[in-house]
Amino acid sequence: MEGKKEEARYTSVSLPTPLFEKIKERIEGTGFTSVSSYVVYVLREVLSKEAEEKSEPFTREDEERVKDRLRALGYLD
Amino acid sequence: MSGGKVLVIGLDCASPGLLFDRFAGDLPNLESLMARGVHGELETCVPPITIPAWLVMFTGLDPGQLGLYGFRHRVERSYDGVWVANSEQISAPTVWDIAGAKGLRCCVVAVPPSYPPYPVNGDLVGCFLTPDGNSRYTYPAGLKVELEENGLSYVPDVKFRVEDKEGLLREIYDMSAGRFDIVDYLLENRAWDLFAFVEIGLDRIHHAFWKYQDPGHHLYRAGNPFEGAVRDYYRFLDERVGGMLERVDDETTVLVVSDHGAKRMKGAFCLNQWLVERGYLKLAGEPEAPTSLDDLEVDWDGTRAWAWGGYYARVFINLKGREPCGVVEPGEYEAFRDGLRSEIEAIKGPDGEDLDNRVWIPSELYEETRGDPPDLMVCLDDLYWRPAGTVGHPSLYLSENDTGPDDAVHDWKGVYIMAGPGVEAGARRDASIYQVAPTVLEALGLDVPAYMKAGLNNTG
Repeated sequence: MEGKKEEARYTSVSLPTPLFEKIKERIEGTGFTSVSSYVVYVLREVLSKEAEEKSEPFTREDEERVKDRLRALGYLD
Repeated sequence: MSGGKVLVIGLDCASPGLLFDRFAGDLPNLESLMARGVHGELETCVPPITIPAWLVMFTGLDPGQLGLYGFRHRVERSYDGVWVANSEQISAPTVWDIAGAKGLRCCVVAVPPSYPPYPVNGDLVGCFLTPDGNSRYTYPAGLKVELEENGLSYVPDVKFRVEDKEGLLREIYDMSAGRFDIVDYLLENRAWDLFAFVEIGLDRIHHAFWKYQDPGHHLYRAGNPFEGAVRDYYRFLDERVGGMLERVDDETTVLVVSDHGAKRMKGAFCLNQWLVERGYLKLAGEPEAPTSLDDLEVDWDGTRAWAWGGYYARVFINLKGREPCGVVEPGEYEAFRDGLRSEIEAIKGPDGEDLDNRVWIPSELYEETRGDPPDLMVCLDDLYWRPAGTVGHPSLYLSENDTGPDDAVHDWKGVYIMAGPGVEAGARRDASIYQVAPTVLEALGLDVPAYMKAGLNNTG
């Protein structure tokens, strides 16, 4: 397990100072301990939304796939 | 014991007979947890099914209060409209909802039902109802991106099949190892107060491999190549649980729990076919091969009752004014239902032997019956005989399953182990699934709502 885990690597990006200050104010009293952790959180949210193929979370197709799995497991019928 | 951190490790389907007895000596991490704390059988709910049992465990509410009687439910009393339970239908507060509202941070991994993923005060990974690893399976959505950045991919479940057991075994290990990797990552990289996790792989192992290791099973063959498969998987779980325990401190309360147990299947009983023979269920034609009721033309005007099979059965009465083509008059309903109940209770085994059948009216079991309760809930021979819904078999009794695996059925007794600050060491005491939610809240130092039962530490 230890070998698999890579050291976390970081690099810098530049933020306009007023934006940095605004974020710093905004995260006061929240679970975010630094501007960096907040920015990382927001960017991952944005990326995940871009990657989403569909907006409906549980489509009819999804439900059929889950039903097939449940049937094969003996839960249905 | 209050105000500390709580880690709940759910092993779906873990059986006391295997974990505490048969594999004693093989599971050092779980056994050291038992030595440090209290353990015993955990009596599950009716029905003893993954959904609703995990939600019962983490809300302290019964299936009737939750309006969840299994995986599927009828859409507004129709004959063919079915919805499968998912997180969107759940409004009851879980222990992480209660803890999160008090500002405590929660990690919830794969606790059914948790697809689609929903907001928690922390992080959530969807359960096995997640269609596949490409689905949006986390809250926040960016957690999935973070896991991928760290080389962690998610396989929510395996596609079950009876041929190619080797391949299935490999896939179950891959799935489980991937989920434990995610759990380890979150244990290390999140500040949490409550961590709740369910591994579904053990349920899949039991259903697929039980008969290979149980000399009491009618399909057991000594010396078969999968004789050690179940034991090996318990060892694997023990090792991974050990890895999780290394990531928490001694001040953390640790609970290992299962939603139900497992035991050998004796066979399947064709309940709908029996209803046809008795004249309660009328089909437009005779099926030539075993067929699901969904694929048959039912003469609803001539049908008084029909059933859904599975690990337990739900019987529905075709009541006038409630069902679209109801025929049983409301004034006759109770007498008909009670008579049918007695007839099902009297169903015999293939050799005319008595079976320990249990038939309930939902209102007898639950505080209230929300949603779509069936008219009768049926367990055949204390769950040993699986009720089959398909019709068109040469006999009412099948030695193998009609649709799913033919190895294991569920059992009423699951397991629990609890260790942590203030928990007495080395005790064995049986408990109920309804005691888990209050135990979690107490250990977190939170008030227990009045509707919950007493916690595990208050039993002695």
